[in-house]
Amino acid sequence: MNDASDYIVELKNITFRRGSRVIFDNVDIRIPRGKVTGIMGPSGCGKTTLLRLIGAQLRPDSGSIWVDGQNIPELGREQLFAARQHMGMLFQSGALFTDLDVFENVAFPLRVHTDLPEDMIRDIVLLKLEAVGLRGARALMPDELSGGMKRRVALARAIALDPALMMYDEPFVGQDPISMGVLVRLIRLLNDAMGLTSIVVSHDLAETASIADYLYVVGDGQVLGQGTPEELMNSDNPRIRQFMQGEPDGPVPFHYPAQNYVQDLMQTEKDA
Amino acid sequence: MRTRNLELIVGVFILAGLLALAVLAVRVSGLTATSTGSTYSVHAYFDNVAGLTPRAKVTMSGVTIGQVTAISFDKNRYSARVDLAIDSKVDTLPADSTASILTAGLLGEKYVGISVGGDDELLVDGSELYDTQSALVLEELIGRFLLNTVSKDD
Amino acid sequence: MSLVDRVVLLGRAGLDTLAALGRSGLFLVNVLFGRARFGNGWTLLVKQLHAVGVMSLAIIVVSGLFIGMVLALQGYNILVGYGSEQAVGQMVALTLLRELGPVVTALLFAGRAGSALTAEIGLMKATEQLSSMEMIGVDPLKYVIAPRLWAGFISMPLLAMVFCVVGIWGGAMVAVDWLGVYSGSYWSNMQNSVEFTEDVLNGLIKAVVFAFVVTWIAVFQGYDCEPTSEGISRATTRTVVYASLAVLGLDFILTALMF
Repeated sequence: MNDASDYIVELKNITFRRGSRVIFDNVDIRIPRGKVTGIMGPSGCGKTTLLRLIGAQLRPDSGSIWVDGQNIPELGREQLFAARQHMGMLFQSGALFTDLDVFENVAFPLRVHTDLPEDMIRDIVLLKLEAVGLRGARALMPDELSGGMKRRVALARAIALDPALMMYDEPFVGQDPISMGVLVRLIRLLNDAMGLTSIVVSHDLAETASIADYLYVVGDGQVLGQGTPEELMNSDNPRIRQFMQGEPDGPVPFHYPAQNYVQDLMQTEKDA
Repeated sequence: MRTRNLELIVGVFILAGLLALAVLAVRVSGLTATSTGSTYSVHAYFDNVAGLTPRAKVTMSGVTIGQVTAISFDKNRYSARVDLAIDSKVDTLPADSTASILTAGLLGEKYVGISVGGDDELLVDGSELYDTQSALVLEELIGRFLLNTVSKDD
Repeated sequence: MSLVDRVVLLGRAGLDTLAALGRSGLFLVNVLFGRARFGNGWTLLVKQLHAVGVMSLAIIVVSGLFIGMVLALQGYNILVGYGSEQAVGQMVALTLLRELGPVVTALLFAGRAGSALTAEIGLMKATEQLSSMEMIGVDPLKYVIAPRLWAGFISMPLLAMVFCVVGIWGGAMVAVDWLGVYSGSYWSNMQNSVEFTEDVLNGLIKAVVFAFVVTWIAVFQGYDCEPTSEGISRATTRTVVYASLAVLGLDFILTALMF
């Protein structure tokens, strides 16, 4: 573990299956400390699963996941909940608690994990809300917010306990260009200002490439490629190129595997 | 303030539930403090208890003064032994009082009625009621009635 | 479909059922005996007592009133033929305390509070609120499930008691005020035949058992549901069906053991 200080998260030989489908097959991923790392790949390739593995909401079939020197799959329930206090996760839907208002949502982690006096909690919450630009919205309920604002409130909640590691699950999905721009800027800003390590899981190429220091491209249960955004853009691996250029057909086929088209049509006629 | 109101409403709710239980206990089941008070036990032997059950009432002049605690068969005397728990406040029963098994109404439940005797000695804990009158069994009554009618005709 | 296929299907269904039973058992153990609650557990419980108990009060009172009134009316019409209409009080009270109070309350509770619990928890699961709570380092079993479970345990027996009282009162209204049964015999016949331990306490025990089963089914179905809108609606239906069947089945067993 001589490089423990360079990498905050290390996934070693991870294999994960869902039923008979292999999501990850002996995958190694390392997340450098203090950087923004993008995990990219086509939909349904297990990007979100990766975050859930790191957060131990799922357990791998084999392999180890080291987060800050702890092997996550081996932790007991108690230690796990303690370890999670150092992680923040921004879910796709924001996942705000619908029965609490914006202020209470952000205050929630502070209330359950600290014994801070009320005025201090108020200061911290307002600080975090100010950071995401929603201090004025503190009295609103989650269903009064737009999708982008929900995500920003959720972000404020995720950083309330000053985690060392922030994970973003598809932060750009379904956002209008303005909120997308706001989120992109926020992720970068928070990472640098708070000394975080960020993992951004996304398939939005341009946005992710614009903020990530390092990129992984995953697909078919494998890491297809890694490197800085420039390196990947110029990669000569056809699969990476297909993904990076957004070509509809290539090594990742347009058609779902099926038998011969003509044969298939003939068969239907015969059956009918 | 919102939590306080909520707590108040919930408090009223719990109170209403407990109050309901109290109403059921006192008003509906007629549970009173005295019925669980101290008792003394006496027993009596009956030829036939037909239909008397444990926890049946023991009454005197129509007032409940205790209840049946146990019914068993005494194999030496070939009769039924009935244990009665009598309210301690009723401690002036003469030793020769009569215990009879009665029926409330025509088809109602069986209970034990005690009619007062004339002895100076009083019933105490563990004493026996010697004078007993068994339950009336409807079939026997009808049988006897028919027999009488037949013999009169002769 | 061949015979073997059918047997395979049966086996699979059996295994699935067993797995679900095992999961729900583990779930219950984790909720009840997991690590200590948080400092604000009391506030959470109060909130759920309000949502589960107080909000069900209206339907319980209204149905209790009508059921008591109907019982008195029907009972009177039958008993008057035997000239024993004074016994209507005892009939209403015994029916309510022993059977209808706990059972109807449990069925209504499953429909009103149980389905709401399932839908609410299912929705929290589908919108990733439970996951995000886990990631904040808060155990949703303790924070979301446990208060709801306890609120159900506590409020349903109370509701059953309220139901019985309102029903008996409704019965008295019909029998005494409308049909002209002498109020003294209505109440005294009732008091003579209703035993506190035999009838009131046994009814209360039934209510506690039903409360346990209905709430358990409701929160488990919510927690275990498929996190989609379709999954939630299916889980809600399952809660009402399973809870009702469980209540009626258990009622028979308990009655056989008690009376």
